[in-house]
Amino acid sequence: MTRRSLIQRSAVLLGLMGLAVFLFYIGKGHTLLLDTNAITINGQEISSADNVEVSVDGQEPKSMGRAERTMVSVGGPSHTIQIEVIDGDGRKVEAKFTVPTFMDMAVVSIPAILEKAPREHWVTKFTPPPPEEAAAEQMEMQDDTPVAPAPGMELKPTPEAPAPKAP
Amino acid sequence: MNSKLRLFLIENAVVILFIILIAFAIPVSELPAGFLLQEILMRIGPNAFLVIALLLPIMAGMGLNFGMVLGAMAGQIGLIFITDWGIVGIPGVLLAMIISLPISVFLGWVCGSIMNLAKGREMVTGFILAFFMNGIYMIVVLYAMGSIIPILNPELLLSRGYGIRNVVGLDGVRQSLDNLIPLKFNLSFLTPPFVKVPIFCFVIVALVCLFIVWFRKTKLGQDMRAVGQDRAVADAAGIPVERTRILAIIISTALAGIGQVIFLQTMGTINTTASHEQIGMFSIAALLIGGASVTRASIPNVLIGVILFHLLFLVSPMAGKNLVGSAQLGEFFRQSVSYGVIAVALVLYEWKRQTQEHESRADLRGETEPAKKAGGAA
Repeated sequence: MTRRSLIQRSAVLLGLMGLAVFLFYIGKGHTLLLDTNAITINGQEISSADNVEVSVDGQEPKSMGRAERTMVSVGGPSHTIQIEVIDGDGRKVEAKFTVPTFMDMAVVSIPAILEKAPREHWVTKFTPPPPEEAAAEQMEMQDDTPVAPAPGMELKPTPEAPAPKAP
Repeated sequence: MNSKLRLFLIENAVVILFIILIAFAIPVSELPAGFLLQEILMRIGPNAFLVIALLLPIMAGMGLNFGMVLGAMAGQIGLIFITDWGIVGIPGVLLAMIISLPISVFLGWVCGSIMNLAKGREMVTGFILAFFMNGIYMIVVLYAMGSIIPILNPELLLSRGYGIRNVVGLDGVRQSLDNLIPLKFNLSFLTPPFVKVPIFCFVIVALVCLFIVWFRKTKLGQDMRAVGQDRAVADAAGIPVERTRILAIIISTALAGIGQVIFLQTMGTINTTASHEQIGMFSIAALLIGGASVTRASIPNVLIGVILFHLLFLVSPMAGKNLVGSAQLGEFFRQSVSYGVIAVALVLYEWKRQTQEHESRADLRGETEPAKKAGGAA
């Protein structure tokens, strides 16, 4: 292999690697939780309008009430959100926001964007509830404590089965 | 019969036979024309790319590249990785192609090197090599991924904690290329009237066709043709025969990897352990149905073959159901025809090769025409 071809091949390899990194950056998918829960910033509570329609990156608008969460899937770091207040002042807000590359699931605060709060409050990392709580919830669901039978549904005593005979 | 017409019929016997078969099966299947048109339009692009991958080894005299399955495996590995990393849309498809490239180039190099050790038996070597590499692929996908190769998304893993699940959904990249340039026609005379055309897939196929046409005119392309026509003469002319043959297989395997990514993004799911297995057979059958042979194939053969093969693919189950009350019978018929056409092509190739060898030996001995024929019959 000549020096020239070595340089050419290395350049192609580096170019491909660079392209791969770029594609990873612009194509990384995120799950956004659009959140209309009230948010407290510097001790001041900002709550959402009663009824809003939210669309991210031109996707189909989602109708949301107060204190709700809706999930949308997007790709890439930069996104555009359109919020329309359905009742009330009928405002329409369009804003751009970015999601960090390695944040798979993010909460997007609709009241923060509507009320033009500082940008750092717009997108936050979604933290799932601790597993202990989830396990406790499951335990509650699977509670097998005997419950008193409904009237008329009482179990009747069955005759005892005969003991197995020894061979 | 006019000798030209006779020659035409002999050379295009397979295509004509399939056109007659399909012309008979379409009305029997009772499938609406709009449905057939839509399905064919959706299938041409991804499948044509895979079939085009077979052209260069044929040009280099290496026959039908059964080893293209290796490229398909590389494409699937690329798709598994982008699904794990959560890369979506067009960047996801492109990244899967880029990931598949080094793997398919390496596998193509291995395949080409082994085929150089088995000159004249490339097809059966490629066929068996595909089985061998399938075992390696299974080890990588079912054992190494999740244990040695990190897989971040637990939903991709089997319940034991390592190995990729049998079916991987490609939700993030599903039909990204097909829907990139959306085009819908309202053809009121068809049922259903709306026909969606995946323009971008056709653009990709057109580009790869142009690449093949351009490649044939390059120095390497000319070398491949020379090697394909006569290895000894090409070697005497100073063409590096073995290197040229390896390059043909490498390019074919790389194209197969990219083709598999395009094919699976259209399908929307990967059958981790099986998606790649049928690709070689289906692509080779499609090419042969299009009128190609082991030694001669062109882009029209690819396009005609893909259309005819997929039409048969679509109509045969319903035709079988309507004729004999069993869709499965139609499917068996289609399978037997697909594999049968490969078998006939291989037998014809071997017969022609033996006849040519015999004739050239007879020429060297200076035998007369009747003596040659007698020897050929023997």
